[in-house]
Amino acid sequence: MKNIITVLSSARLAMALLVIILACCLSGVTLWRGAEAGRMVFATLWFNGLLVLLVINVACCFFGRIWGRTVTVISFGMILFHLSFVTMFLGVVYNSLFYFRGSLRLTEGETLVSGDPQSYDTCEQGKFFSFARLKGETTLIKMHVGYKVAGDDKRVAYEVAVGEHNNKKQGLIYVTHKLSHQGFDYFNDKEGYSLLLVLADHQGKELYGAHVPLQSIPVGTTGRYRYVTGHRERDTVVADFGPFPAPPEKPLFALQTAFEPSPLGERSGTVTFMAHPLDGAGNPEETSTLTRGKIAIGQPFSLGNSVVIPREMRYWVGMVVRYEPGKAIVLGSLWIGLAGMIITTIGRIVRKTNQDAAQLAGL
Amino acid sequence: MKTELMLFWIAVSLYGLSTFSYIFGLITLKDKLFTIGLFSALAGFLPHVAVIALRWSATGISPFISISESLTLGVLMIVLFFLVFQFSTKKLQPLGVLVMPVAFVLMGWAATLIKEVAATLAPALQSGWIWAHIVGATAGFASVLIAAGLGLLYLLKEKKSGGVYDKLPSLSDIDNLSYRFIAAGFILYGLMIVTGCFWANQVKGTYWNWDPVEVWSLVSWLIYGIYLHLRVTFGWRGGKLAWYAICAMFAMIISYWGIPFSVETFHSGFRIEH
Ligand code: HEM
Repeated sequence: MKNIITVLSSARLAMALLVIILACCLSGVTLWRGAEAGRMVFATLWFNGLLVLLVINVACCFFGRIWGRTVTVISFGMILFHLSFVTMFLGVVYNSLFYFRGSLRLTEGETLVSGDPQSYDTCEQGKFFSFARLKGETTLIKMHVGYKVAGDDKRVAYEVAVGEHNNKKQGLIYVTHKLSHQGFDYFNDKEGYSLLLVLADHQGKELYGAHVPLQSIPVGTTGRYRYVTGHRERDTVVADFGPFPAPPEKPLFALQTAFEPSPLGERSGTVTFMAHPLDGAGNPEETSTLTRGKIAIGQPFSLGNSVVIPREMRYWVGMVVRYEPGKAIVLGSLWIGLAGMIITTIGRIVRKTNQDAAQLAGL
Repeated sequence: MKTELMLFWIAVSLYGLSTFSYIFGLITLKDKLFTIGLFSALAGFLPHVAVIALRWSATGISPFISISESLTLGVLMIVLFFLVFQFSTKKLQPLGVLVMPVAFVLMGWAATLIKEVAATLAPALQSGWIWAHIVGATAGFASVLIAAGLGLLYLLKEKKSGGVYDKLPSLSDIDNLSYRFIAAGFILYGLMIVTGCFWANQVKGTYWNWDPVEVWSLVSWLIYGIYLHLRVTFGWRGGKLAWYAICAMFAMIISYWGIPFSVETFHSGFRIEH
């Protein structure tokens, strides 16, 4: 036991850890890149174990050695600095137990229940996070394109409302500006088009309608995009056929739509469509095509015994919802650490200047 | 664009002249050449400032977006620190022997990469944090470069004597001065990381993602954190640390401009998915 403490509080271990962590960082930006670096180094248990060991080492070694010494400007700065490591770590641990991160996708006009895990495309949370904290609903009121703040082009801004009836907050989110409510932060993340498809009979009676989110696929290197029904595979979007009407309704066809925005007006453009019948198992029968063509937004096309109208284009947005109660501790520690470094350095310079002056006076 | 480019090349040439004078000054041990080196660095600094001012005033877009702009600003900070330091202490004349060649090469590299000013600033970069972040990064680099220059003088003085070398401060004073610049660099890198965390937090809600630029900045900081520990807790002094400071400086160049800019990272702006 005593041996373990001796090792844990040795300056040699500190140096070894710093060098090993440095080497890991270097390999994580040279040998491996991006997501792979995460898998190989930064997200691994052993690497995070090293970081934890470093913090324990700082606590034992630094505070063990410095304990009982008279506090000077220099040592005070150093205490602040090394202490900031420990508080930062406590902040990270606390956060990991209580945090929530979710990505919420909404079409303009749509409202989702904030506290329902089903509302989120993906979400993760700490052991002690309770969904009851997420009160009320989240609504995307409108997405503004070409949004400007004091002449700066923010590209897009989401106008959203969050919370319960008596405790609601409405506001705009754009890059560099989040919305905060009851400890939860809402950030903008991504956006796309959502097509309102209406199914009607030949007499014009509307049977079904739904917003179908479209995904963007870059057209070569032109900088332009096609917007299609599809799904994401890793980092690329694959165009595909979706059941129409979508479950829980009974699907009748497999339908693929693509949107080409018109340079003439926001939310206007043309829609390309193609439909297959469904086989017994509900999969598209790709050998027979029911219809295909291209029309302007708002125009109907026939499909089997019915009519489909791509009625209007709206936007969908992906928002990131975060609850990170430990973050303030971590970010606050950073300033304390920086202040510690500055105080120590000033202390040393003052001491050296005084020593030199004393030496001169002695001569 | 024409004037800008002309001024740019004038600055590069004057830094080149400065480099040449310092190196020959060291070979021939003539003080005059150091003086020429210093004043041509000063003369190059003026068009250098003008280039940045012109670019900035042309569009109002902060001048550190492309790699060439980042290099140009970094070298500006190097030469600024160098000039201020040289004019305030006259005792370290040959310091430019390491500082000016680095400034010259980086500036020449920037000249070959120069591009039109970006038409718009990516929204993610429209943040006040970026200013403190950039100042921390460039001033940090300038500090550790001067520390490395002092390290070189230490090693030279250790081996040689006479002329220029006798006029230098004592070995322990050079060593101590080098250490102070490292400590300043460590603080400035700390500032760069802290403001970078706040910036990322403002934009994405996360303060640390292990993205390459973040990791490279941590690398810079750890390298100098190790230096400080070698000195304070292990009692290293003099020659060994001088070598360390010089090697670390090359690592800094790679970590700043060598690798991070060649991969797509957070800093290159945001992809809008629609
Ligand atoms: C990333 C990790 C660390 C960094 C960047 C760091 C940085 C520093 C700095 C800047 C100083 C002051 C140097 C000066 O006065 O100029 C210092 C001193 C010191 N550090 Fe650390 N430190 C770290 C981790 C540790 C660890 C893990 C230990 C424990 C073994 C430790 C123990 C000490 C001790 C004992 C001193 C000197 C105190 C004295 O004057 O006796 N540090 N460190």
